[in-house]
Amino acid sequence: MKVRFLVVAVLAAMLAVAATTASGGTKKGQADKIVVWLQDDAKNGWPEAVAAATKAFQAKHPGAEVDVQYQQWTTHLTKLDAAIAGNNAPDVVEMGNTETTKYMAAGAFAPMQAKSFPNSKKWLSGLKDSCTYGGKLLCVPYYTGARAVIYRKDYYRAAGLKGTPKTLDQFVVDGKKLMKKYGSDRNFSAFYFPGKNWYASMGFVYDYGGQIAVRTGGKWKGTLNSPQAIRGLTKLKSVVRALSRAPLTVDEAHPYPSIPFGKGSVASFVGNGWEWPYTLDPKVGNPDLAPVMAAYPMPSHIKGRYMPTFLGGSDLAVPITSSKKSLAVDWIAAFTNSANMRAVAKAGNIPNATSLVGFTKGLPKVEPFAKAAKYSWFIPKSPNWANVENANVLQDMCSQILSGSKSVKAATTSASNAITKILNAG
Amino acid sequence: MTVAESEVSLASRRRRRWSRHRVMGAVAPYALLAPAAVVLGAVLFYPLYLIARLSFEKYGLFELIRHQGKWIGLDNYTQIIHDGQFWRVLVRTIVFTAVNVSLTMVLGTAIALLLVKVSGVVRYMLTGALVFVWATPVVVAVDVWRWIVDPQFGILNWALTKVHAGDFFHHDWFVNPWSGFAVITGLVVWGAIPFVAITVFAGLSQVPGELIEAARIDGARSWNVFREVTFPLLKPIFVILASLSIIWDFQVFNQIWIMLDQRPSADYYLMSVYSFVESFRLSEYGLGSAIAVVMVLIMFAVTFVYIRQMVKAGEVR
Repeated sequence: MKVRFLVVAVLAAMLAVAATTASGGTKKGQADKIVVWLQDDAKNGWPEAVAAATKAFQAKHPGAEVDVQYQQWTTHLTKLDAAIAGNNAPDVVEMGNTETTKYMAAGAFAPMQAKSFPNSKKWLSGLKDSCTYGGKLLCVPYYTGARAVIYRKDYYRAAGLKGTPKTLDQFVVDGKKLMKKYGSDRNFSAFYFPGKNWYASMGFVYDYGGQIAVRTGGKWKGTLNSPQAIRGLTKLKSVVRALSRAPLTVDEAHPYPSIPFGKGSVASFVGNGWEWPYTLDPKVGNPDLAPVMAAYPMPSHIKGRYMPTFLGGSDLAVPITSSKKSLAVDWIAAFTNSANMRAVAKAGNIPNATSLVGFTKGLPKVEPFAKAAKYSWFIPKSPNWANVENANVLQDMCSQILSGSKSVKAATTSASNAITKILNAG
Repeated sequence: MTVAESEVSLASRRRRRWSRHRVMGAVAPYALLAPAAVVLGAVLFYPLYLIARLSFEKYGLFELIRHQGKWIGLDNYTQIIHDGQFWRVLVRTIVFTAVNVSLTMVLGTAIALLLVKVSGVVRYMLTGALVFVWATPVVVAVDVWRWIVDPQFGILNWALTKVHAGDFFHHDWFVNPWSGFAVITGLVVWGAIPFVAITVFAGLSQVPGELIEAARIDGARSWNVFREVTFPLLKPIFVILASLSIIWDFQVFNQIWIMLDQRPSADYYLMSVYSFVESFRLSEYGLGSAIAVVMVLIMFAVTFVYIRQMVKAGEVR
């Protein structure tokens, strides 16, 4: 009986100790600290801008700390949702410009004043659009980027190509010449195009006059099965079938085309500005390719134009649950000043204001992308758009079309139905 | 004995019934169970209750930010019942589970029977290999398999091309969902075999050698020995293993998710993946919870069989 009593007492004591030590969570009441979520692109491309921003911020707020945490594009929204639910959302969060509408409509971001930020009068209208909802400014434009064709001059020369193609048909003819010269290597692609690269695929849709979805009478309708869109996607299929040997169930980030390009088995690929210096990064690519790399905007099937490129970009927002909103605003202002925008532009991107686009001139690595941005397309502005991306509708459709597992008509019809359903939900 | 005397002894007996000794004896088991029950309640039952409650609410991003859901009763359930995709995913999950469990049980039993027959050294090597597979964390295993079946750099394509089994250059195993699921089934069964094999092997050691000898003397061949002698004796173990395998394989998530780079196409959705995508990708936490509750109910029905079998086998009184 005594032993039993002892055992019960010991167990109860252990449980009590475990309970108290387990509750050692974060201690509030420390010095002012803000948590900033940026994407990996900043860490790889312009880390000096992040450091400069923190330094300027700390000069203005002595003793304040900045904790910059880098996120991945595939997981950052899930993490943000979980952080909001768990009451430890960051104070500054980088959002993709296709993701902001969903969060703005749900009231996730704190309203801000444009005048708190540098160059705000000259912000790029496309980016500013992705930050405005219900007449309020809910995030700050950060940067944008266009896609262009990155290629190897030596392969083009060796295959007898004269200059770069100015129309889509010429592009295909040139590509076939490249395949003829180098295609005996089974790894070789004249135009490396992963099957789920929906950003580049939709360029074909918009080039031929199609659209992803239109809004009539307050309701969205997916229009990828319109005749124009089907024409564009059929052309895409023939181009990719003839010129690419890239895998068809992966997207443009797994692996980044820079990697097979660096290995020498790719003559050209369509990519963002930062993918050029990424190819030359000794850790993942081939620095010896520097003298032979160049870029040009993807040609349209209409002479004298470029194929519309997706104007992807990022914005910086302050979650409404943050308790340090004014500090967050100050950090964002320090991060998006002209000097830091110059660093962002140098890495191959387009800065957030028209007055700063001058930075891209004289940067041969950025000019073709800035040129390509002249013709652009953007996703339907619906709060539910992020769900279309998350449900992989366009990625799967492109993969099905390019692999031939579904006909263009069938794939576009089911995708359009899915888009209609998701955009009109809720 | 007089009535008065018996009353006295009765009273003292009653006093003794409520002595400290007996109270402590009665309370001790519950007190010892209490910590485990509290932990179970906090870690298991409270989240289950929250998921059940969420399944009756509309809980999207708007509600998430305000930490307040909107009660909508059975609307989530009606929505999934009327959604064709839910039934497709359910059927796919059931077929997937059936195939995986059958393969796991058959191959696991076969390996266990092999373990009985081989010499000591080979048995140690085989058991060691099984334990290594068992000990490999799922995420690590899936990553290794991903590299093996990679279209551009994987050795499976290279090896198959080398032995002239066809042209597998840049062959993408996941374009066709059938071939994709074949790869994932291989991965799941590979990871599940060790547990079954080692458990059945332990059970086989309980089969009396004399029974098998007697059967062989009567002219029974190996298959008959297994069917008439071994299998009936091991039936409780097989039922338990099958129930556990069904529960585990029904919930397969990691293998699909990691193999397909966290963006599986709709053809690859199993119930767990579907529930996760609805919740975290489409921010419909109420809907995702309803799907999860349906999964839990199905699993509860299967678990019921397992518990009943264990009780019948006399392990739980």
